[in-house]
Amino acid sequence: MSFKRFQKQNFIIDSANAFTAGKMSKRDFLKKMGLAGVGMSAYSAGMLGGSSRPFFGNMAHAAESTTPADVAEFLKDAGKPFAGTTIRYTSEATPPTNVLNELKSEFTDLTGINVEIEIVPLEQVLAKATQDVQGQLGTYDIYYLDQAWTSTFSPDTIDPVEYYKSKPDLAMPGFDFDDFSQTLVEGICEYDGKWIGLPFDIPIFTLMYRKDLLEKHGLEVPKTYEDFTAAVELITKAEAENNIYGTGLQAKSGHYSLECDWTQAVWGHGGGIFGADKNFSGNDEQGIQGLEWYMNLLANAPAASVTSTWDGQWQMGAAGQVALVQSWAEFFPGWNADDSKVKGLWEMAKPLEGPATLRSRDDVGFGEIPNWGHQGGSSIALSRYSKNVDAAWLFLQWACSKDIMTRCTLIGGFAPMRNSSYTDPRIVERKSLEGAGTTRHLDTVKWTIDNAIASEPDVPIWAGVANNEIPTELGKLLTGQDYGGDAKKCMDQVAKLVDAVVDEAELG
Amino acid sequence: MSERRVWLPRWLTSEHPLPWLFPVTSLLIVFGLYPVLFSLWLSFFKRNPATRKEKFLPSWNWEKMISDERVWDAVQVTLTYAFIALFIQLVLGLLIALLLDTDRKGFGVLRALMTLPLVVPPAVTGMMFLLMYDSSFGVISNSLYSLGLLSPNTPILGTASTALWGVIVADVWQWTPFMVLIMLAGLRALPKEPYEAASIDGASAIQSFFYLTLPMMSKIIALAVLIRGIDLFRIFDYVKVMTDSGPGTATETLTAYAGTIYFKSANFPYASTIALATLIVVLVTSSLFIKIFKVKF
Repeated sequence: MSFKRFQKQNFIIDSANAFTAGKMSKRDFLKKMGLAGVGMSAYSAGMLGGSSRPFFGNMAHAAESTTPADVAEFLKDAGKPFAGTTIRYTSEATPPTNVLNELKSEFTDLTGINVEIEIVPLEQVLAKATQDVQGQLGTYDIYYLDQAWTSTFSPDTIDPVEYYKSKPDLAMPGFDFDDFSQTLVEGICEYDGKWIGLPFDIPIFTLMYRKDLLEKHGLEVPKTYEDFTAAVELITKAEAENNIYGTGLQAKSGHYSLECDWTQAVWGHGGGIFGADKNFSGNDEQGIQGLEWYMNLLANAPAASVTSTWDGQWQMGAAGQVALVQSWAEFFPGWNADDSKVKGLWEMAKPLEGPATLRSRDDVGFGEIPNWGHQGGSSIALSRYSKNVDAAWLFLQWACSKDIMTRCTLIGGFAPMRNSSYTDPRIVERKSLEGAGTTRHLDTVKWTIDNAIASEPDVPIWAGVANNEIPTELGKLLTGQDYGGDAKKCMDQVAKLVDAVVDEAELG
Repeated sequence: MSERRVWLPRWLTSEHPLPWLFPVTSLLIVFGLYPVLFSLWLSFFKRNPATRKEKFLPSWNWEKMISDERVWDAVQVTLTYAFIALFIQLVLGLLIALLLDTDRKGFGVLRALMTLPLVVPPAVTGMMFLLMYDSSFGVISNSLYSLGLLSPNTPILGTASTALWGVIVADVWQWTPFMVLIMLAGLRALPKEPYEAASIDGASAIQSFFYLTLPMMSKIIALAVLIRGIDLFRIFDYVKVMTDSGPGTATETLTAYAGTIYFKSANFPYASTIALATLIVVLVTSSLFIKIFKVKF
């Protein structure tokens, strides 16, 4: 998303708010919409309702660093045999993918290897990767894998640690696998004792709040789920005239974003997705409490929440429409962009904790990790079916090298995968910034990664149920299509469906 | 007549229909018949979602489909969608065609303008309407709020009771002109004499419409209903772009459900089964329709 588009969206939202509040005539509203190009560029503007991840990087920062000399030399030599080769990967529009898409020419200049990155919404990435592995086609040399798909695709990828050892000629100097955050490796790309790819991206749930609104209403920064609910309800009521809501949600029916919100609500109330017996447990007492808490939040959120994914939720924050959000930390840099109308007003805090106690890892199934900070990380992995596996391996190492990963954070402001990035002087010095390019949120993100990271189950059926059965039934409940507002009835149906899939997969 | 080349068998010469039919027949076999047969074959396998192994169990997916509540919900949505959209498009199409069936100046331009929605790709139409329905700035939503017909807390595409209507409106906007074109072609081909006779006998315009136009147009109407009906049964684009089958399953048609099973759950055999079931429903319904209404091409 460009800055220009961001401005345009704010312009549209402000105009719409003024119009609906009766502060602008219909004629003026239509004139302004005309100025914004609404209707003339319906196709692109229609993407407002899409599910691309918000990104407000400043590519100018990319010039601040270059590939270290030894790495550049290695890439020149190792890349020679593959010059002219084209490697492909498909990815969601994640912040690091957007940055890599801009920086990839540096890799091509060094190695002669061309890189094609297909950027599509997350659900299409899953569909493309699924088709590729089903036919073992090798259309994509590199897969972008959401953490929810790790186990699903584990048979289709090459373990990068093993490959590094087995191909010394292609091993990048100073690559340093130990520099990757261990909790991220465990949560994102390790399955059954094997690395399925390299950690690439770590959106993680933290609390974000508008300090001006909390101050205005004399509220402390919420620490628990109860505090959060109280603050959200108070602000929704007090700010009704200003069209500001306590919170905003990514509750789009049938979408993975809704599943992410729900998962955190369940964990936060002491529940789990699967029990140790491998049966679905979201329908137990704690699970129902979590869902009911979420339903109450929905009543204090903009109506568009039920049609919004992460992109829509980010827009609510950027438009100044919401006061508190427990969601992806990567929203933060965009809210501090130079032309953001809420620049400097948002702050980040640790994710909500308690009053319920977390369910123990022994009491849940399929490697699930209940905790306070839901992670939605991803890895990039070498396809077992790639016809250009060595060329792709060079790119993968370059993309996940210390230099590139640090630069990705400098440009995009999102959380680094490597521990060394956090101590990089360029990142440290930007902690004092209020607005664009700030890294003041990264300490909280790192704390959450190190101490409160929560992960969804590692089971091959998870990609399917997390994208289909669970968010679809939740959508029926939240939009009033079915269950008459009865959370227990809905969760019992989800249990029936998910347990049937587990049985069908002979995993029970 | 030129003498047949004796070294070629007769079925390979231009006198035989086979060489003429071969190109199109082979295309139909490769792109039409083969995928259907392959889907049928696929539907006989049970897929393990964890191991991805497929086991030959011919009745598994078919039995699963019969007992899958979501399939029956999808059938209901598909039928509701198809009948409502078809009815509106038919009535509007006929009315607009009657209005445009004149040689007065300027009407030719209007008739040409009617074709504009047809050239817009359905996915783009879906996106246009997505924008117009936006609860913050969408022109349709805001108009309905202003008129008091809708509450701002009721996003059209995010509310179970309104979402299907939202999608139907986009379909009606795009495809009513198709009905208009067919009806216009039919109206323009009607003989003038019966109308002259009716006029001499003192028949009103309404009587002429019901006793002359409608009976004479019945075959054209039946053809239009058949073509659009088949299209509406297969509806996918608008649903995918505008609601992705939601909220819940409020707009989930059979083809959309098959797509979800294919793309999200990667259960290819089951998705094939649902797609085949849709094909069977369309074939049976359209065949019955052709027989009952004696549609001739």
